[in-house]
Amino acid sequence: MAADHKTARIGPNGKPVRPFVMPADLPGKLKVWRFIIYRRIVQLGTLLLFFGSAHWGWTVANEPVLIGNLSASTLLGTVPLADPFAVLQIFLTQHVLETEVIIGAGIILLTYTLLGGRTWCSWACPINMVADLSAWLRRRLQIKDRIILSRNVRYTVLALSLILSVITGVAAFEWVSPISMFHRELIFGIGMGWMAVIGVIIFDLLVLRDGWCGHLCPLGAFYALIGKMAPVRILFDSPSCTHCGECARVCPEPQVMNLIKATEAGMIASGECTNCGRCITVCPEETLCFGLRKQNGTGYESPQKLESHQ
Amino acid sequence: MTAKSSRREFLTRSAQGIALAATGGLVWSYLLQQQAQAAPHAIRPPGAHDEVDFNAKCIKCGQCVRDCPYDTLKLAPAGDSVAIGTPYFIPREIPCYMCIDIPCVKACPTGALDPSLEVIEDSRMGLAVIDIENCLSWQGLRCEICHRECPVQNKAITVEHHPRKISKHAMFVPLVHSDACTGCGVCEKACPTEVAAIRVVQPELVQGKIGEHYRLGWTIDTPITQDFKPQQRVDEQPAPATGLDYLNQGDL
Amino acid sequence: MGQTRREFLKTSVAASAAATVGLPISQTAQAATRDAEAGWQWDKSVCRFCGTGCGIMVATKDGKIVATKGDPDAPVNRGLNCIKGYFNGKIMYGKDRLTQPLMRMKDGKFQPVSWDQALDEMEKQFKKTYKEMGPHGVAVFGSGQYTIPEGYTMAKLMKAGFRSNNIDPNARHCMASAVVGFIQTFGIDEPSGNYDDIEHTDTVVTWGANMAECHPILWARVSDRKLGDEENVKLVNLTTCSNQTSDIADSEIVFKPGTDLAIFNYVAREIIKRDAVNKDFVEKHCVFATGPYDIGYGMRGTSEYAYDAEKDTQAKELKVTLDKYEAIAQRKKEGDVIEQKNRAKPVKHWQISFDEFKRGVEPYTLDFVAELSRGDADESLESHKEKLKALADLYVEKNRKVVSFWTMGMNQHYRGSWVNEQAYMLHLLLGKQAEPGNGAFSLTGQPSACGTAREVGTFAHRLPADMVVFNGKHRARSEKIWNLPDKTLNPKVGSHITKILRSMEDGSIKWAWVQVNNPFQASANANHWIAAARKSDNFLVVSDPYPTVSAKVADLILPTAMIYEKWGLYGNAERRTQGWRQQVNPPGEAMGDVWQGLEFAKRFKLKEVWGEHNVPGLKSEGFEDGKLPSVLDDAVAMGYSPEDTLYDVLFATKDNKKVAWPDPAVAKGHGNHIADKLGDGWFPEKALFDEYRQFTVNFQHDLADFDTYMRDDVRGLKWPVIDGKETEWRFNEKYDPYVTKGAGFEFYGKALKATPTGDLDKPTSKEKKKLAGKAKIFFRPYAAPPEQPDDNYDLWLSTGRVLEHWHTGTMTRRVPELHRAVPGAQVFMNPNDADKRGLKRNDVVWIESRRGKVKAVLETDGRNRPAKGYTFVPFFDESVMINKVALDVTCPMSKEEDFKKCAVKVYKA
Repeated sequence: MAADHKTARIGPNGKPVRPFVMPADLPGKLKVWRFIIYRRIVQLGTLLLFFGSAHWGWTVANEPVLIGNLSASTLLGTVPLADPFAVLQIFLTQHVLETEVIIGAGIILLTYTLLGGRTWCSWACPINMVADLSAWLRRRLQIKDRIILSRNVRYTVLALSLILSVITGVAAFEWVSPISMFHRELIFGIGMGWMAVIGVIIFDLLVLRDGWCGHLCPLGAFYALIGKMAPVRILFDSPSCTHCGECARVCPEPQVMNLIKATEAGMIASGECTNCGRCITVCPEETLCFGLRKQNGTGYESPQKLESHQ
Repeated sequence: MTAKSSRREFLTRSAQGIALAATGGLVWSYLLQQQAQAAPHAIRPPGAHDEVDFNAKCIKCGQCVRDCPYDTLKLAPAGDSVAIGTPYFIPREIPCYMCIDIPCVKACPTGALDPSLEVIEDSRMGLAVIDIENCLSWQGLRCEICHRECPVQNKAITVEHHPRKISKHAMFVPLVHSDACTGCGVCEKACPTEVAAIRVVQPELVQGKIGEHYRLGWTIDTPITQDFKPQQRVDEQPAPATGLDYLNQGDL
Repeated sequence: MGQTRREFLKTSVAASAAATVGLPISQTAQAATRDAEAGWQWDKSVCRFCGTGCGIMVATKDGKIVATKGDPDAPVNRGLNCIKGYFNGKIMYGKDRLTQPLMRMKDGKFQPVSWDQALDEMEKQFKKTYKEMGPHGVAVFGSGQYTIPEGYTMAKLMKAGFRSNNIDPNARHCMASAVVGFIQTFGIDEPSGNYDDIEHTDTVVTWGANMAECHPILWARVSDRKLGDEENVKLVNLTTCSNQTSDIADSEIVFKPGTDLAIFNYVAREIIKRDAVNKDFVEKHCVFATGPYDIGYGMRGTSEYAYDAEKDTQAKELKVTLDKYEAIAQRKKEGDVIEQKNRAKPVKHWQISFDEFKRGVEPYTLDFVAELSRGDADESLESHKEKLKALADLYVEKNRKVVSFWTMGMNQHYRGSWVNEQAYMLHLLLGKQAEPGNGAFSLTGQPSACGTAREVGTFAHRLPADMVVFNGKHRARSEKIWNLPDKTLNPKVGSHITKILRSMEDGSIKWAWVQVNNPFQASANANHWIAAARKSDNFLVVSDPYPTVSAKVADLILPTAMIYEKWGLYGNAERRTQGWRQQVNPPGEAMGDVWQGLEFAKRFKLKEVWGEHNVPGLKSEGFEDGKLPSVLDDAVAMGYSPEDTLYDVLFATKDNKKVAWPDPAVAKGHGNHIADKLGDGWFPEKALFDEYRQFTVNFQHDLADFDTYMRDDVRGLKWPVIDGKETEWRFNEKYDPYVTKGAGFEFYGKALKATPTGDLDKPTSKEKKKLAGKAKIFFRPYAAPPEQPDDNYDLWLSTGRVLEHWHTGTMTRRVPELHRAVPGAQVFMNPNDADKRGLKRNDVVWIESRRGKVKAVLETDGRNRPAKGYTFVPFFDESVMINKVALDVTCPMSKEEDFKKCAVKVYKA
């Protein structure tokens, strides 16, 4: 390869910087793609459970498997689940809610507080598939970035969602959310919800890279805030890192790949990380892996590597 | 970059940001208002709160839709005339068949469908209204399907017999009573005219109101009060005289 | 052309609505309507559905019916319709209209075939069976919805052509009990009064007639009468299931099934006790009579074909043990076992004295009858008693006019003929019969149950104009009019409709033709008959415009023209004969029933049918050897050739062929697809009607001629039509020219006008005593229904109709609007009974009897509100085929099935 003829760069750890090379064989490729495969299984599986329960009467022990949609649902006829952000907005409209939905929101909130807030984005949200498609197309078509927008805009949108919920008396984001629009219509029938999907694709493709998920989505912002505290993280083994930059190149939220902060924390500390696992599979040095939070001095002393490094 | 210029830039950017957020917020809240008012007269599932509260509380999860055994309910898709994602039904297509166990209300996690609704006959999804110009029974034909099919028969819809001027056939005219009509829409579905002559609508669209100051003489028995308690007259400061403008101005 | 379709519809709807209410409508709206309707052609016609006989106007354009309206000139309905009538124009345009003959092939599937192939196969199968089994091996299921020419064609073809009396209409299930009641009481069929009785009377009592739903337009007239004088006009509804008719009634009497027999006798006893018998009337115009009680229940005498579960009910056909009430009512002891000895001769009867009659009704005291008849356990005995007493008060009250109406509740009854006679018993005792506003009035269910089934005589025992096959004089008169050799007509009564079905099961009938009805859905205990129809050696032909249950079990299906696609006449319940022209052509290859009959007749030569036939069981004067003789020689002597076809001899006769088609004066441009297809220049409907008319004239049944009924200014005429004038009230000198001058009243019917005499229990003298001009007042006792709820089958079941659907729903269920309004049959049940079984409204439940089970949706709060212990299921819905559950008990006299009483259980599906 061309790189072999150049002078090899040396990383800060004194080792030569190696580029990521996509394996030629299928098993190798599958290994690189493993997280995207897992995520699609989880995303589509969830969707299928909803759809199957609604349209094909899927049951376990005579109870429907998963009824409702990502806004609120009932698992096996008993466990309530609800979108905590939606519930927060409804709460802000100054309406008393049933305990059921509050418990449901609590369950989901707890789940993502443990798993990493934006794990939702990469592993559950149906728009993620659309956004990934846009990003892939954008790479293939080599569309240049022209507009730059702060990724913090999403926090403004988040704040607006909450304020407008108070002012207008309806859950502000729920009424315009392309996520629930898309999901609802996948499960309950076709309306103009596809327009939302096409809107996200066009926006992400032609206007702004990672435009919706990385810049605007208040639900992502909400989970980012929660995600700060999550024990499940991507761990960073700084001694092995050659600063080759492969991780940042594939990351949909590259600002989280701040290697200085990562070195300090021993992990990707930002809540904006979606735990998509792309960085893990492209890292030539196996520097990154899923694991439990390593907190210098205050938390877990010995990191347990969960997935990588076996 | 000097501290001053960076400070100015910061202020400018902040101002821009705030302006952008404010504009965005305004547009957004306009959209919300539009949406929330999209179809204020949609026919909602049993137990639905009034439209404002319902719109606020409904989380658009569709569990009521799934639990409706008759496929009556649907979630409004984007672009529909009904507020996006909320459950509603079109009686002429599939009416509410008034399940005794009200599964839709049971399914609602947020209470947008009021869980205190225990008897389906108490629900008020809408009010049936008869277009007496196009109602066959009101012309004298023996139809009255709405009456016979009404699940709250003889309470929500009754039939009155009226003489018909031009022949010796009594007219059997159906009448709807708002105190018992649940708005289930079975009548609208069953109505045999090409366009239904009985329709379910939100009551505020069609219902009038007798003045608070008047009671219909025959509706309640009100005996003359036997122990009348007169109110003491209080001496008041005389207010400025009224009526002077009229009295003093203009010619006769 | 500027008008859009929508505007056009709007204006036409507004115009017709405004016209009926009498609202002024704007000139512009009228003009718009006229423009929109340019090119429409209107003609008078008749509603296709019930026996009321409403007139309608039909508009056609470009060979399609585009609209209908109630005929404002029709005296019955004055421009109104019920919701079925409103959809007359749509019944012909169902998506699955049959347009080609369909034959079941070897693989069991139907395939389209040509008419020639269809008729060839039909002929082949007929000839095979006819040769093997004789005239009694073939049968025709006829109809009370036949037009008069259709019924006449088929009756003549069967009786005169094939010498078989095995033609019986579905009217057997509808009006046969009424007929027995009329014939035994008056000696002539059909009501003395007419619908104007409603406007003349002060009291309407409905006995087993949910008129509000089943005779909607007449009920509007009754209701109007009530509104006109709410204080004085009284309505009483006697029923086993609280229904819509009660809504405007002053009193609703809910009685236990079968106890109407006792209630009638209670009222009769009161009439006597209160000395209210109109002695003058009774003495001059009536005699008293009674008959045997041990007449069975019209079931088979053998259990050979019964399912195991049915056997206990079937056993009662031969022997019953009297219960407490029956014992009192029949002056016997409780527990007596009564062998049903008079099953073979249920109709025999003898005259008794008034004292014997009095002795008969004596046990029917208020206490006894109230306890026996209370149908609603939630009603106090006291309240029930009071209502019964008030009912008697109304009948007895001097100067109060009373009309008693009834339909299927009394006709479809294991003692239907008795209970019909009991209705006349009251009115005759009181002298409140045959005058304006006074009379017992039997309503009919079908549009031409009277006009065709009864008057033409498409029953197994009848000939036209109330004549019967077992009467030699009647046969001779018919043979003369029909120009047949002596002894062509078969004196042996043929199989009634239930017997045809049973015979198909036991192999004694192997070829049958179903016309204008759907017996395999409409007959009780249907599981048996469906299996029988599919037996490999039975050949079943079904003529129908639509694929029905009967078509589904057929071997050959013939596509048939519907009402406005042919010329026809119907006769309604008030003796009104009404005619209409063909308005449009039938679709595809569909052809009218008249043509089907005529075309079939062309395939038989005299030598094939008029030879000698063995007729098992034939016993008749002149036929001592039990055989139908060959009449071929006589035929030749009369100028026929053995090679002549039945078409030539019976239908396209020299006289008939003179009735020419085209007939512009009558047709006024209307077509006749049958005459055109025959192509031999005659007008079959007119020729056959006018031929049939010969039976009626000067024979107490006078009809006008065909052309009169087709006149623009005629909206039907009530027979007897004498000198062009219709008869409003029969048997009454003031109105009826047949009554001898000075007689006042005369019940001049000729049938059964001489009987033996006897006491309450038996005839004591065989000598026949004449009673010309008189009516009989029968004493008939209470008898218990053979099947009643028990621990296992713990609920009563009655079947019936709903306003929106007609009979088995084959037409009305194809009108999308009616189907949407009432898509399926529900089982109506008392909410307490539902609770007790853990059921709730809208649950899907099984309804199961000894004979079968079906699933239906439960309704506890609907139009019918049964008392505890009762259920009601309409029979229009083939997916809820309740006749698989119902019991095929019949009135032993009329052979009419009792669809109103059997025992079922209901449980969650």
